[in-house]
Amino acid sequence: METLLYIALFAPLVSSMFSALFTTTPKKTFVGVIASLLIFTSFVSSSLLLALIVVNGSAPVHVEMMTWMATGDLYIPFGFIVDEVSVTMMMVVTLVSTIVHIYSIGYMDHDKGFNRFFAWLSAFVFSMMVLVMSDNYAGLFIGWEGVGLCSWGLIGFWFHKESATWAANEAFIMNRIADLGMLIGIFLVYWNTGTLQYEGAFEAFQTLDTATLTWIGIFLFIGAMGKSAQFPLHTWLADAMEGPTPVSALIHAATMVTAGVYLVIRSNELYSLIPNVGLFIASLGAFVALFAASMALVNRDMKRIIAYSTLSQLGYMFAAAGLGAYWVALFHLMAHAFFKALLFLGAGNVMHAMHDELDPFKMGGLKKVMKWTWIMMTIASLALAGIFPFAGFFSKDTILEAAFAEHHFVIYGVLLFTAGLTAFYSFRLVALIFHGEERYKIFGIHPHEAYRFMLVAMSPLLILAMIAGVLQEPFFHMIEEILSAHEYHIHSHTTLWIMLVGTQVFVALAILYAYKKYANAFIKVPDGTSAIENSFAYKLLYNQYYIPYFYEEYLVKPYKEISDMFWNKVDMKIVDASVDGIAGIIYGTGEKTRAMQSGNLSTMLKWMVVGLVVLLSLAVVFGLAARYSDSITVILSGLGVM
Amino acid sequence: MLDHILSILIFFPAIAAVFGFMIQKDSIRAYGISVAAIEFGLSLWLWFAFDGNVSGMQFMENLPLVPSFGINYILGVDGISLFIIVLAAFFTMIGIASLTETPNEKNMIITLLFLQMTMVGVFAALDAIVFYVFWELSLVPMLYIIGAWGGPLRIYASIKFFLYTFAGSLVMLVGMLFMAYFFYQATGVWSFALLDWYRLILPETFQLWLFAAFFIGFAIKVPMFPFHTWLPYAHGQAPTIGSVILAAILLKMGTYAFIRFSLPLFPDASAAFMVPIAVIAIIMIIYTAMVAYAQKDVKQVVAYSSISHMGVIILGTFALNVEGITGSIFLMIAHGVVSGALFLLVGVIYDRRHTKLMSEFGGLAHVMPRYATIFGIMLMASVGMPLTINFVGEFLSLLGFYQQSHILTLLAGTAIIVGAIYMLSAYKKMFFGDVTKEENRNLPDINKRELVALIPLSIITIWLGIYPKPILEPINNSVEAVVQLMHNKAQTELAKERIPNLVKERVLVIKKTVIEEEVH
Amino acid sequence: MEIGLNHYLVLSTILFAIGLVGVMKRKNLLLLFFATEILLNSVNIAFAAISHYYGDLTGQMFAFFVIAIAASEVAVGLGLLIVWYKRHGNIDLETMTSMRG
Repeated sequence: METLLYIALFAPLVSSMFSALFTTTPKKTFVGVIASLLIFTSFVSSSLLLALIVVNGSAPVHVEMMTWMATGDLYIPFGFIVDEVSVTMMMVVTLVSTIVHIYSIGYMDHDKGFNRFFAWLSAFVFSMMVLVMSDNYAGLFIGWEGVGLCSWGLIGFWFHKESATWAANEAFIMNRIADLGMLIGIFLVYWNTGTLQYEGAFEAFQTLDTATLTWIGIFLFIGAMGKSAQFPLHTWLADAMEGPTPVSALIHAATMVTAGVYLVIRSNELYSLIPNVGLFIASLGAFVALFAASMALVNRDMKRIIAYSTLSQLGYMFAAAGLGAYWVALFHLMAHAFFKALLFLGAGNVMHAMHDELDPFKMGGLKKVMKWTWIMMTIASLALAGIFPFAGFFSKDTILEAAFAEHHFVIYGVLLFTAGLTAFYSFRLVALIFHGEERYKIFGIHPHEAYRFMLVAMSPLLILAMIAGVLQEPFFHMIEEILSAHEYHIHSHTTLWIMLVGTQVFVALAILYAYKKYANAFIKVPDGTSAIENSFAYKLLYNQYYIPYFYEEYLVKPYKEISDMFWNKVDMKIVDASVDGIAGIIYGTGEKTRAMQSGNLSTMLKWMVVGLVVLLSLAVVFGLAARYSDSITVILSGLGVM
Repeated sequence: MLDHILSILIFFPAIAAVFGFMIQKDSIRAYGISVAAIEFGLSLWLWFAFDGNVSGMQFMENLPLVPSFGINYILGVDGISLFIIVLAAFFTMIGIASLTETPNEKNMIITLLFLQMTMVGVFAALDAIVFYVFWELSLVPMLYIIGAWGGPLRIYASIKFFLYTFAGSLVMLVGMLFMAYFFYQATGVWSFALLDWYRLILPETFQLWLFAAFFIGFAIKVPMFPFHTWLPYAHGQAPTIGSVILAAILLKMGTYAFIRFSLPLFPDASAAFMVPIAVIAIIMIIYTAMVAYAQKDVKQVVAYSSISHMGVIILGTFALNVEGITGSIFLMIAHGVVSGALFLLVGVIYDRRHTKLMSEFGGLAHVMPRYATIFGIMLMASVGMPLTINFVGEFLSLLGFYQQSHILTLLAGTAIIVGAIYMLSAYKKMFFGDVTKEENRNLPDINKRELVALIPLSIITIWLGIYPKPILEPINNSVEAVVQLMHNKAQTELAKERIPNLVKERVLVIKKTVIEEEVH
Repeated sequence: MEIGLNHYLVLSTILFAIGLVGVMKRKNLLLLFFATEILLNSVNIAFAAISHYYGDLTGQMFAFFVIAIAASEVAVGLGLLIVWYKRHGNIDLETMTSMRG
């Protein structure tokens, strides 16, 4: 078992280091192949671990590799645990990674940085594995920062592009803001429980007072907000789409952004003690779901639309986790990973075909040339929209049920409405890309389907997006041991059926509306003249509620200005100038008194006499003072001075 | 030989430097490298022979100098100073090995060897006067390095460096004399031996004044805000090797002295001044990070980043608990490695382009991929990525201080944000984008001589980030002794509250385990 | 009236004051030497008187030291003075300003 664990964990690291050896050499296909094989090895090991845990029902595998930091009372080992929660994540991570690795062999085929890409990608998988497998918060933080680093490297992979490097830095810095919260949360855990191990900390949480637990919960969640791009730290996710599409599929859809959800699920014993924070998380989740979906409605960048939908789905997950339905959140996380990765990879195919064109209005009618991609993206979108019997139906509907069953009807309503929006913008995209007139022709592009092996690589995701729903029951039975889950059943079957059918009809109508509006022959490339484009709501949504603008104007620019001011005005003109000023005074005094040294012996002798007189009088004064010190004290105290 | 290994470590480079005058010009480099390598080997031997489980001083030497005034030549190392000595030997070695074309190479190497003597001397001295002598002597070679091989403003920079730090240490000297006088008053014998001073418990008012006197000397050396302005000039004008040694070792003298002198001698004053100093540390962290962000010269970015990191070290020191102090000592070593490497990296590009302005670069990742990679590793270490050496120190320092103040730690924690901002933007300006300047198009990638220095540093950066135990453990043991000493000496309520008592906790833990065993 | 210690000390002080004024006022190097001799001798008188008063010979010993040093000083000083006179043709203090700071 332990061997399997180590293989699952370190195969990606080996892969990364192997690929890193070739970073400066020209493209070598075998690098990609070997990297994919190693990641696949990791996948196989994870599957075996899953099988052992599920089938044999064996206890979680817990290993302690070595000490990392130990000082004072602090003891942090490199410890890893494989239990039901982490093995689920491991499966998701390794499966999607394997597929994305294979897919990237084709996608990055013509790229100069082919080898470097695999080094970063495998490093990311390793960090993600550390994140999910660690048995303590510090280990989680290693993975947490590691994925941030790899995300930085991969968003800025095409580092000659200003926008890419800018987005990479933005993502890193914004995540850092959240990481500070996370770090403070970790400190709080340590000083209140004396340990960072999940096991010990959870045990100690039971005895802590609610105020402390609330603070811990809030700070840890701030960390989760950054990584999972929750409002107000969400802007980096859309900008992160500057990275290569496989990266968006793996990191910014399936795995890294769900790390925040994972953290909340992992700390479920904490959050179940503080339902108020849970409610806040759920409300924020619901808000983000709606907020992101609304921005996706009008966006004209294919990848950004999918990114906003990811954001929206993350909101769903947080809503579920916040309401205490941890297993539902984890299940949606898993299902979402499958269909969202599929959607992104499909988008990658389209981008390749369209020579990196991202505006769906400039596409249209692609289903003729890209039949398989069309099928895959449609099914992925159906799954995303939550149509029966695809994966999203089972995971998303359960979230709605959970919200309903917990009597949080506002959250339920928001999530339901968002489901409609989701269906609309997903099929707006599908319709614009694959249906209607072939608008790309005027741009002189000759699209082609992706390599066959890329499509084959995507097929497991396709299958999972279709059938993942059947996993719900087994998954529930596996996870209930650890997440103290209960199935959410609406008390009356009638209500349940009304809800189910109602949701389906609502979503289906949204899809039909999207097709009707965008799959026709009259769609043109918007030129900013139509009435809708000049409406306030459109502008608001198109500019992402002006939040990036606000950040740029009121945070980034002032920071730069204050920095410049600190340097030019404060540091140089005040701090340094005062030091130089003191030196200047001393120097100036010397310069002024220089005249005393006239060189004239007579004058110098006069000064000498003056000095003598001063010293003598001082001696006399001090001598007298010493002799009569008692009476002086008396006099002074009489005067009230001493 | 082990009995006198510290004296050998101190005076071997000095004697070798004297003999260096007789060496031919063309073989001085080999001579310098071999002397520094032997010295480094000796320091490794010291580490090897050092017993990490002992918390007290080891390899003590005691030779009377002026017995009537209690001035003795006392040396010794513990976990706190050991690794800085090893680091000093290491940096001198790779510094000489990676020395690029320098006019008057012979003088440079001899100066470096003298500098090494003073550096080892400062960290090994256990007598205040001996400490002071080495402390001041270390200024001279540095003054010479900046003044003789520096940039256009070198005279101004070197004089500023010298006078500023010298003025501060004079105040410190006065403090030392008073301390010895108080010792004389209390015991009737003169002594400048640090270990004697440790036993002296001073009234709180005396502590406050003496703390302030020592503080000025140390704070200028660190350098703490607002005494920091000599550092950018010194770094800006110094040659690469000067900056490397200055950042890696010389700055650590100040923070080391805080732990060696201020904390154990004046525990009450340390507790009383904790909050103001923490505030200064936070200003250092945030303010200098912002100033670093505004810089146009990459070397100044690294220079200001040093100040910012020193802020974290100060914060950890004044956490006054084992976690924080251990973290701050570890961060001293970590910052030595990382900032030394960063200055070396800046030197690499300076040698090629003779400019340090970031606007002159851009797109270097295309032309110098290996250089970009190593710079990237050091960048990530500098911003405190876990599994790099800096993270361990920063994490422990902040963790330690969190026990004292939550809000201040939250503010200080912004170090990880502002640090990322200036470092990433500098990296972006230099390495990303297209190659815009024609001169940059054919720059040669990093060569073997430069790799000699940078590869070991990269390995240390990652190795100690993953497995800090060999260093952390001896540091921890010595720090526990210091904290316990401070607790035992503490008189005020404030100090007793802020400085944890380790012994009591130990007993409790033992009791707890005993009870648990009984239950089982 | 017996001549006591105070009288000697007063004499010494007066002589010292005369010497001091001479040192400050004289522009001629030779006269400056005279003035310094007066200063030294005023101190000598004080030494001898106090020594006698206490019955301790140390003071007189110091007076001899002073005389010896004064003699050597004058020897060297006069030598320099003559050299200066040969070079410049005067011994006026106002012209000796090469030590100007």
